[in-house]
Amino acid sequence: MKGCWAIASRELGSYFRQPAGWIIIALYLFLTGLVFATGVLIPGRVASLRDFFALSGWLLLPVAPAISMRLVSEELRSGTIENLFSSPVSPAAIVIGKYLGASIFMLTMLVPTLVYPIVLRMYASPTPDPGPIAAGYLCLILLGTLYLSIGLLASTLTPNATLAFMVTLFAILGLMFAGTAADWVTPPLRAVLRALAIGPRVMDFSRGVIDTVHVVGFLSVSAFFVFLSVICMEARRWR
Amino acid sequence: MVVADNVHKSFGPVRAVRGVSFELLPGQVAGLLGPNGAGKTTTIRMIVGCLMPDQGRVLIEGRDTADASAAARARIGYLPESTPLYMEMRVADYLTYRARLYGFGRATRKAAVDRAIERCWLKDVRTRRISQLSKGYKQRVGLASALVHNPPVLVLDEPTNGLDPTQIRETRQLVRELATDRTMLLSSHILPEVAVLCDRVIVVSGGVVRADAPPAMLGKDNAEQVTYIVQARIQRAADEEKFIKLMSQLPFVDRVDRDPARRHEGEWIEWRIDGKPGAPDLREAIATASSQTGILLRELRTEAPNLERAFLRLIEKTDGGTTP
Repeated sequence: MKGCWAIASRELGSYFRQPAGWIIIALYLFLTGLVFATGVLIPGRVASLRDFFALSGWLLLPVAPAISMRLVSEELRSGTIENLFSSPVSPAAIVIGKYLGASIFMLTMLVPTLVYPIVLRMYASPTPDPGPIAAGYLCLILLGTLYLSIGLLASTLTPNATLAFMVTLFAILGLMFAGTAADWVTPPLRAVLRALAIGPRVMDFSRGVIDTVHVVGFLSVSAFFVFLSVICMEARRWR
Repeated sequence: MVVADNVHKSFGPVRAVRGVSFELLPGQVAGLLGPNGAGKTTTIRMIVGCLMPDQGRVLIEGRDTADASAAARARIGYLPESTPLYMEMRVADYLTYRARLYGFGRATRKAAVDRAIERCWLKDVRTRRISQLSKGYKQRVGLASALVHNPPVLVLDEPTNGLDPTQIRETRQLVRELATDRTMLLSSHILPEVAVLCDRVIVVSGGVVRADAPPAMLGKDNAEQVTYIVQARIQRAADEEKFIKLMSQLPFVDRVDRDPARRHEGEWIEWRIDGKPGAPDLREAIATASSQTGILLRELRTEAPNLERAFLRLIEKTDGGTTP
């Protein structure tokens, strides 16, 4: 995995060297701020971020594809991929480095949202239970990295960043509606769609339940998409 | 040392490279010459390990780009065509990143970057953003990034493409300097560039090697065919026909043409007369014939067979290929 970390840190830096990174963060904080101000900060209600985390799948929907869309497609479009391919770094290191960089950027983006639980702790009485909040953040991270892995694959497939964005967006929407769609189909496919559905898992997390099945589920699906991206990257050497 | 051994590559139905073989000795500077679409870039991409050949193999300093891929690639510096760079990065940061990719640790990284900056004359722009640099400077950043790990083999794809004449001169000077202590392969469709920079020319066309020789020798192959440049006074339109007929009838004359640029000064018109291969010196015959018919000559000289013509002939002669 030589060079993986160099690629990750360059990738992370590139978000902050360009306006796009800052705009993505601003957009996300605006969305979450809106939800927090209108849906959480209501006088007389028990202080909880439950609704906030329940909505997290939706809030990340426009943001994660924007983070991932340029990861590989920009390299393909500009030709800088040649510089990477001719260096002694393996395709796996390239892909994983890029995924790490994007994931760390997403974590950085989540850090300012910690202000919401802090505000609740300061002003709400009784103070909110920290357990569900920790579970909520774990869910956000798992969900975000899953979205990014889908975006990474889309970005590996095309030099067109806009196309990568759209494909990612619709793939995520598909996962979100998989639970609903499961009710319309016959049993063998129903089980598959149920397993893929994101909604019920997010609901569990936002209630404060950390189910290892969900954690492993998210992680393995992400790993699967990263693996597919590595295969696609490796294949580029052959065509 | 670089060895390409019967390398093939197809993209769908297009056979881009059809069995290219050559061997570059240490310290040799070779030019890969060919028209656009000849398979130069595909060949180069296979040599640097960006692309795997369908058939055949490439060895870099004895390491196969397929079996010992990373080890082979670590010994090559590569400047792709049109110099792709991360425009938003600063020069020194970019080179540091490149050094990290080649496994330089914290301790050795700075020295490597400084050396590359020094060699490519980038000192005064080291903290500048790459997007703000001129094309010539960007080219130097590309060269510096190809050099940062001090590779024994340097591969440059069309290094002066799209530069202005001053930048071309500077880049060539830099390339010549870099070539002093390493093996180098550069591709170009510009002949004089290869003639100036390389001690060996590999002509590629239609995905096949058409010739492989030192630049001077490449011209020699066609030395037997000489072209005569003649300026003759043509006073009437009828004289022109008469002159062409007269010259065409001379023994050993292959063809008679107006100069392609149609140069003339008043009645003095320039002509090109091609002698047949292996013909004796025709100057005397041309002069005698024209003076006998009353057509005055004021210039009669032979044109040295040059690389340009040799190159065009090589490509024309063999261009039945599958160039897309």
